Amino acid sequence: MQPDAWRDSDLFRLLVLGVRDYGIFMLDPGGHIVSWNAGAERINGYTAEEIIGRHFSTFYPPEDVQSGKPDWELRVARAEGALEDEGWRVRKDGTRFWANVIITALYGDDGELRGFGKVTRDMTERRRAEQQLTDRRRLLAHLVEAQERERQRIAWDVHDDTIQAMVAVDMRLQLLAGKLPDEYRQAVDQLDSAVRATISRLRNLVFRVRPPGIERQGLRNSLAVYLADTAMVGEIHYSLEREPADDAAITIFRICQEALTNVRKHARASSAAITLSTVDRGFLVRVTDDGVGLPDLDPNAGHFGLIEMRERAEASGGWCTVTAREGGGTVVEFWLPDVRP
Amino acid sequence: MIVRILIVDDDPLIRDVLRDVLDEEPDMEVVAVAADAREAVELAERHAPMVVVLDVRMPFGGGSRAAVEILQRAPGTRILAFSAYADPGAVDEMRRAGVIDYLEKGVRNAELVAAVRRLGVQ
Repeated sequence: MQPDAWRDSDLFRLLVLGVRDYGIFMLDPGGHIVSWNAGAERINGYTAEEIIGRHFSTFYPPEDVQSGKPDWELRVARAEGALEDEGWRVRKDGTRFWANVIITALYGDDGELRGFGKVTRDMTERRRAEQQLTDRRRLLAHLVEAQERERQRIAWDVHDDTIQAMVAVDMRLQLLAGKLPDEYRQAVDQLDSAVRATISRLRNLVFRVRPPGIERQGLRNSLAVYLADTAMVGEIHYSLEREPADDAAITIFRICQEALTNVRKHARASSAAITLSTVDRGFLVRVTDDGVGLPDLDPNAGHFGLIEMRERAEASGGWCTVTAREGGGTVVEFWLPDVRP
Repeated sequence: MIVRILIVDDDPLIRDVLRDVLDEEPDMEVVAVAADAREAVELAERHAPMVVVLDVRMPFGGGSRAAVEILQRAPGTRILAFSAYADPGAVDEMRRAGVIDYLEKGVRNAELVAAVRRLGVQ
């Protein structure tokens, strides 16, 4: 069958009439509806009998009709051959839906305008899903930011208040120890040691908790500085095609930090490597070490901050997995999507 | 010779214990105690201490500004920074302000006393 013959055929007419996902109908040159299909009925709510003969501005909200949008769209389609638009349209029952509309001017062999073909898609669901995704991303960015602000506040409080008080207590204990008879002195010395150990732990806490300054020095340097401070031999392989956004960078840093803390504490590793690469429009990060491996790799077991790492990754729409490395050591691997356009 | 000392710290616990630790030494005397940078400059001018034990982060200008002003008004003063912050930026800022020595809070008392004594006999 030749294309022309096919277009004219009943089969083609039946196909158009039967399509349910798209409203496909024709307008005369003045914008009145001359044909209707099942999709148009489903989307707009009118039956063919109700709508044929009426002007297509019926589908537009009052503000668009007042501004002359329907006629303007026909003028553009006539001048340029076709027009695509996204916007609100009104159903028979008065409710609105978000539509993608393509209007195509149809000319006869004689060059005369015969009318317009109009294809309408209901995009309401897709738009809602997109908006939910945008809202979720915005919420996540706020959450990460608020979390970092809170960590900064905690770090300052511990550093400027708690540690200072402990330092004063420690100085006082040393003073006291020098004045006491020998039998008490040992007890005070022990107390002094305990206080000093606590100060040291609090300093570690401050170091871990405070924001790493990624906005000043970039993700790669922040990781390098952290790695150097853990006293492990480390290397960073950085081949990201694009620097991550602020919240993604913080999430990457925090998961790496958790992973390094784990391997140092529990796996007794002496060296670690962090590899960052761009995969599937996102950031793939692997933290590997040469330790004895983590005794329990079940992330649901609640040990070693594995849950925290996984939760952070999943909250960002990614994943995190911890496995034993061949030949010893542990691999923490996670991926976060790059949600920017 | 008695080393005359001015203590400057905005934390009362640290101020008090510093005074007790240094006063305990037979060759040292704490002549004044200040709680902020402004008071530090005033008391340094009034008491002309030989050594100032100076905190770094404080109200009214912080340790570096206090150090600069103290050295302008009493050029012979020797200043020891005693701070909770030991990052290179803070140390460098204090050195440039004219501070001779820098100790991080948490050092043993003996080390602090030795540092003050060293500055006092210079």
